[in-house]
Amino acid sequence: MMQIKPILAALKRHKAGTILIALQIALTLAIVCNALFIIQQRVDRLSRPTGMIETDLMAIQNRWVGIDDEATAPLVKADIQILRSLPGVEDAVSTNSFPLRGGGWSMGVRLNPTAKKPITQTTLYFVDDHALPTMGAKLIAGRNFRADEVVTIDPKVFESSPVVIITKALADKVFPDGSALGKQIYITEGAPSSTVIGIVERLQVPWNGNFANKFEGNSTLLPIQLSGNFSAYLIRSKPGQLASVLKAAPAALFKANRMRVIPSERGVRTYADVREQAYKSDRGMAILMGIICVVLLAITAAGIVGLTSFWVGQRRKQIGVRRALGATKHDILSYFLTENLLIGIGGVVVGAMLAVGMNLWLMQQFEMARLSPVYVIAGVIVLLLLGQGAVLAPAMRAARVSPVEATRSV
Amino acid sequence: MLKMTHLSKVYRTEVVETYALRDFNIDVKEGEFVAVTGPSGSGKTTFLTIAGLLETFTGGEYHLDGVEVSHLNDNARSKIRNEKIGFIFQAFNLIPDLNVFDNVEVPLRYRGMKSAERKKRIMESLERVGLASRAKHYPAELSGGQQQRVAIARALAGSPRLLLADEPTGNLDTQMARSVLELLEEIHREGATIVMVTHDPELAARAQRNVHVIDGQVVDLAEDPRFHAHVAQVAEATHGR
Ligand SMILES: Nc1ncnc2c1ncn2[C@@H]1O[C@H](COP(=O)(O)OP(=O)(O)O)[C@@H](O)[C@H]1O
Ligand SMILES: [Mg+2]
Repeated sequence: MMQIKPILAALKRHKAGTILIALQIALTLAIVCNALFIIQQRVDRLSRPTGMIETDLMAIQNRWVGIDDEATAPLVKADIQILRSLPGVEDAVSTNSFPLRGGGWSMGVRLNPTAKKPITQTTLYFVDDHALPTMGAKLIAGRNFRADEVVTIDPKVFESSPVVIITKALADKVFPDGSALGKQIYITEGAPSSTVIGIVERLQVPWNGNFANKFEGNSTLLPIQLSGNFSAYLIRSKPGQLASVLKAAPAALFKANRMRVIPSERGVRTYADVREQAYKSDRGMAILMGIICVVLLAITAAGIVGLTSFWVGQRRKQIGVRRALGATKHDILSYFLTENLLIGIGGVVVGAMLAVGMNLWLMQQFEMARLSPVYVIAGVIVLLLLGQGAVLAPAMRAARVSPVEATRSV
Repeated sequence: MLKMTHLSKVYRTEVVETYALRDFNIDVKEGEFVAVTGPSGSGKTTFLTIAGLLETFTGGEYHLDGVEVSHLNDNARSKIRNEKIGFIFQAFNLIPDLNVFDNVEVPLRYRGMKSAERKKRIMESLERVGLASRAKHYPAELSGGQQQRVAIARALAGSPRLLLADEPTGNLDTQMARSVLELLEEIHREGATIVMVTHDPELAARAQRNVHVIDGQVVDLAEDPRFHAHVAQVAEATHGR
């Protein structure tokens, strides 16, 4: 450390290399901080629970062909009966959508039916009394629907349901004092109210994009079967029998009625596949960012190794002279480590500012969240350590330069 | 001060072994000014690098200031170089990235000296060589003679007891060579022991004692036929010009 002043003096005579490496460190820090932050966000997102028990669960998406929308209700009912009676099936439910499906209904929730602005958004799951057991969603207050509460409705005339089950996230948002159970809410502007008869611990909405971040846990279950051309079936198999049900279920449905299309892609999926596909781009983004980080760090480390090796080669003579004048091997080693640390500190100071600037820009352009200082600090430490690691080998080579090098003419 | 007995140095390459020094004996007393002469390749530089602990030797004994040095580890050798020995090289060997002041400071920093003390010593030794006004200059901005004086100031700053100079005037013209030698004589008068390698007989003549090296051995000038052969060679070369 006692060498800082002369090291800085010497660096001034090697401006180009110094600035180049410092800038490389700065850019790497800025990009790595933001990339790590994006990775963390994506990982956070894709590790969110849906609120369902996802093992032994599968989904079928079914479209009726050549049948009037109004005439589908009994067919759906028949399908559900077939599915529930299959050996290996624990339970099944017909619904308009399910968590991570990608599409579904969303409505505003109000306490005052004529209020201009809703309190928050919710998704609507049109199901029956088998939804909770099939999904494995946990009821934490109130009761499930009764079979006699379930009705069939044409989606074009749907307004509301007398009874609903909502998630705790939605309940807490609308009734922050925790008194949701038994209260009235309005899910359509100006329509009749719905009574909250049950609260489930968690049930995710069908979407996982940025726009749904604010209400990703706000779901409402209604005891309604929508008539229409499309229906989705969630099926829970008996433990360990998912693979056989995956084959048996669509076969049984086709055997009962051929007036349908179950798309080859995404028509029949285990829920694990649903999750996998829903988060494909998030995972891809995280992996891409990870690769970018590794590549950048490797390039920066290589740059440091290269420049320091070059400098060591260039300075063999003066290293020998320093040794002749009394420098120990350790003095020489610490000279190069300190030199690298000084360049690194210059780089990370600029890099930290760049990282924050880059984040502000991403916030404007892509609705990124604000970068936590933890990432900047972690990035700074990683880059300084990387620098010291990269410089170690050339510095050790420098320390091995013999003092006799001083006497070799030219 | 400096005593070598039956010292040998062998350079081994894959094909040959070169005896740079063999059965080398020398005894330099405290306060002496010794000039080492000899033909090129005779082992003068090798002797000086071993004397200055820049290099180890193959056989024999070397006592520096009463201490047998072959058992010292690298750190101890560095410490002795730093505290007891001052080096002056033919090629000056200033550090090009550092200005004159910082160059002279190098050995003092390795000694861990306090800043105020360092500054005092640097300015003193720069004044001594007449270059105090050039403290902020870089080596490249100085003439050869000035650079060698900076190198001497650097060697002096740590007040070494032993000054080793390898052809200190070899890269200088006659006038500069003379002024550098005068500086060395002055330093010698103040008590330092000086060993100077040179092949300039005129400079050598001004030392208290001359030691002649031929084929890695110190020879007695009066008796050794190799010396007479060498003198004849030099005379012929001088005539030829
Ligand atoms: N590093 C080395 N490797 C091999 N041989 C060397 C080395 N250094 C010196 N020598 C040899 O040792 C002998 C003495 O060299 P040196 O001490 O440089 O002579 P001088 O300084 O008297 O000209 C020469 O034959 C030289 O070639
Ligand atoms: Mg020589």
